[in-house]
Amino acid sequence: MSLQNIIENWSSYRKGAEQGGHHNYEHLWGMVIDLNKCTGCGACVTACYAENNLAVVGHEKYSRNLGMNWLRIERYWDEPDLGEESVAEYQHHGASFLPMHCQHCSSATCEPVCPVAATYHTPDGLNAQVYNRCVGSRYCSNNCPYRLRYFNFYSYYEESWPAPLHMQLNPDLTVRDKGVMEKCTFCVQRIRTAKDTARRERRKVRDGEFTTACAQTCPTSAMTFGDLLTLHTPGGGVGETEAASLWKKHQVELGKSRQQKQNPELRGYRVFEGLNTDPRVLFLERVREV
Amino acid sequence: MKKKRILALYSNFAEAMAVISDVRDHKVAGVSLDDVTVISPIEHPELVELLGDRPSHIRKFTLSGAITGITLGFTWIAAAQANFLVQPQGGKPVIPLPSNFVLTYELMILFSVFFTLAGLLITARLLRRRPMPYSAKVGVDQVGIELELEEKYIEPMKKLFLARQALEIREEGRS
Amino acid sequence: MNNLNTNAALTPEQEKDINEDIRWAKINEDVLHSMESPRGAYWLSIIVCLALLSLAVIAEIHQYLYGLGEANLNWPHMWGLYIATFIFWIGMSHSGTLLSAILHIIHADWRKPIYRFAEAMTTFTLLTAMLFPVIHLGRVWNMYWVLPYFSDRGIWPNFRSPLLWDAFAISTYLTSSALFLFMGSIPDLAIVRDSARGWRKKLYAVLALGWRGDDRQWRNFRVAYLVLACFLIPLAVSVHSIVASDFAMSIMPGWHITSFPPYFVAGALYSGCAGIITLFVLLRYFFRFEAYMTIPILEKTCKLTFAIGMVWTYLTFIEFASVWYGHNAVDKELLLSKFSGPYSIWFWQMLFCGSVLPFMLAVERFRRSIPIMFVVSILLNYGMWLERWMIVAPTLSQGYEPFAFHVIFPSWVQWFIVAGSFGWFGLLFLIFVKVIPSVSMYEVKEMIYHRRHLAHKDLSTVMHSRSASAGGNAAAAADPRRTPGTPGLEGA
Repeated sequence: MSLQNIIENWSSYRKGAEQGGHHNYEHLWGMVIDLNKCTGCGACVTACYAENNLAVVGHEKYSRNLGMNWLRIERYWDEPDLGEESVAEYQHHGASFLPMHCQHCSSATCEPVCPVAATYHTPDGLNAQVYNRCVGSRYCSNNCPYRLRYFNFYSYYEESWPAPLHMQLNPDLTVRDKGVMEKCTFCVQRIRTAKDTARRERRKVRDGEFTTACAQTCPTSAMTFGDLLTLHTPGGGVGETEAASLWKKHQVELGKSRQQKQNPELRGYRVFEGLNTDPRVLFLERVREV
Repeated sequence: MKKKRILALYSNFAEAMAVISDVRDHKVAGVSLDDVTVISPIEHPELVELLGDRPSHIRKFTLSGAITGITLGFTWIAAAQANFLVQPQGGKPVIPLPSNFVLTYELMILFSVFFTLAGLLITARLLRRRPMPYSAKVGVDQVGIELELEEKYIEPMKKLFLARQALEIREEGRS
Repeated sequence: MNNLNTNAALTPEQEKDINEDIRWAKINEDVLHSMESPRGAYWLSIIVCLALLSLAVIAEIHQYLYGLGEANLNWPHMWGLYIATFIFWIGMSHSGTLLSAILHIIHADWRKPIYRFAEAMTTFTLLTAMLFPVIHLGRVWNMYWVLPYFSDRGIWPNFRSPLLWDAFAISTYLTSSALFLFMGSIPDLAIVRDSARGWRKKLYAVLALGWRGDDRQWRNFRVAYLVLACFLIPLAVSVHSIVASDFAMSIMPGWHITSFPPYFVAGALYSGCAGIITLFVLLRYFFRFEAYMTIPILEKTCKLTFAIGMVWTYLTFIEFASVWYGHNAVDKELLLSKFSGPYSIWFWQMLFCGSVLPFMLAVERFRRSIPIMFVVSILLNYGMWLERWMIVAPTLSQGYEPFAFHVIFPSWVQWFIVAGSFGWFGLLFLIFVKVIPSVSMYEVKEMIYHRRHLAHKDLSTVMHSRSASAGGNAAAAADPRRTPGTPGLEGA
């Protein structure tokens, strides 16, 4: 009975993320992006469009900021002094690229604000979006400091894939209609397939068995995708993955808004770490020769 | 013995008060203040001085509404959350007290309001089927005095009413 | 139309809250008359409201068919005028509670002739406000998922979301304020019942719930009214705090501000009071209520509005100060861009209308002028509407992520729907004031009764009729304005 349920489990239901929560994670998927290696080529963006049935909205709508690019390459001129002052927009040096997709924050700000609970944390540690449940209040996108959630303002599918292009749609996931929020899922369909295969073969998911479309495509292997569970609960999970070892190497810990790095040379950081959203994507700072 | 209602209309409140004083002073033997009902276009808090303290029980309804709202509201929300465990969100606990406090607060007010209004319907005896002696003039500017009396007291009471310049006297059963 | 414009009626109208010598039968007559034949301007307003509403219907159909992109919403401008106007209408609703509950508790009896329509305003602004979260939803047809109903799949809404708190708070507020409005008009509905004919008599007989005004009913009615008033005040405060929580509970700069709940409540009372002044002027004209909606009452409302306006001004500048001294780079950048960035035209207009214009209300000559107050009250509300827009839009245009800085102007779809909301509100309100007495007859009588009671001190001579002849001569002599042979209740 409900009342009994509340009384018996009160202490576990009252635990937030800081106290360990009541949730037992099976995996904790995360990523490392080495900005030293990123050339800003945009192959990851294309791969994401192909893998996730992202709508192609066309030039007019894209220029109205209606694009559905779950993964975007942000370009910043971080050292304007290096360029020619007159043409700052197209200077020769000093461009930085920042591939941004959903950071799958452990304390995601988008999750608690959804009125219908359409976005939540899965036992895989993913920040999931349930398209079927979404009513389109768009609060989540407003409350995402990274602005990584995209809304279907139109029924893009009607024009996105004129025949025979619709044949190239990925059958492993849906095509979204208007009125629904969507965002990077860490290629949840690939995670699902890998987990199903592993269960059929009665084993655990192996590191490197699969990866996300963007990481797979990256020509310079700037992205490393993997399970970070060992960082969350030492000894648990699938052993030390490549991604987890990079997190460890750069001394960035999950669940902390201020990192205690012993070595200032280490390049790891998370975007807007001070907001305490606890993102699951680690960036390795770009090192420049000046 | 069967009781009947008798209603007399007065043009102002002071005249009506004079009648009530007469009743209080037992000018008509056997008729007491407990039989008196004053019907007026506005509320007269001064009536307490004459009629005595007639209690109102609405606050008890309100209190029970508030208690129901708090207990039912919190239990309902917490039970819903405890049965919807698939969705941990934003690192928050399953039963977050701040939001449950806000929602319980709203439900407390909602239930209090409902219970208070139900209390009004019951204690003010609204929605009654039984036709009562009434005059539309009470809605305008006249004051009515109604007594529920046994047959034998009706005539002496009528005399008293007339002595105090009643404008009109109505009896139950007669138009 | 009776001889209200005689000298005897005019003088008290300009100096006293209400003419205490007005006959009670006359009050009934005037108010009941308002339910029958308003001025032609009333019907004109209905037509204007219908026209505005049809604009909104066209826009909504268009948006429903083609998608929210037609409203010029985009990434990162996920919210726009819809949410701003939603807050605006919720804010408007607070005035009714202020007049009927807060002023009731502090025994300010001048509220009595005007509180009924203010309460109606509460109910109908809420009905208008509730449209906006629905209109702005991406999938309107699934809106009921926000409600906590028992689903056989065991799915519940997210109780952590401030939007869900909104749903709870606003539906509680709507229910309570509508019931409060209905309850407060029961004695008046009984009066209407007594004079109505045909099917109307049946309708009002049901609505009046068998009210006949005996002392048991009055006693319990008063207690219930007081209790409900006591509940409505914290409820109103909580409703707008919760609406403020939509922003204050978020993480975005310019939204995540601790002082938002009180700031929103002050803004709500402010725009609500200004709304009351606007409707006061309109109703007074439509229904010839010059004897009840008097200039002194308008003045008191204006003073109240001025006081609340100053509270709002203070909280606005406190918000700036706390951002400024908080020295958070992102917040500060946003604040500066409000003053000098793409939204600065609107922002300065908001500051002018919200903080400078109310000083008009401090001048007695302006306060007593109906046309000036009509224009000023509309401008105040324009400023308050801008305030809500200036809360929603700048943060979306400039948050944490520099890559997402973007400014967009709402399209015709949003503007039509915003305009239509005024039509929708106007229509509901105008129908209401014609169907339910918009001046509380029994409370105006009470007001007169108690004011005369106070003036004469002596209970035995204070009656609501025949007072001049029944021994009130000394008092009558003391009051030179009183005409001899004061109209009492001759009909008696």
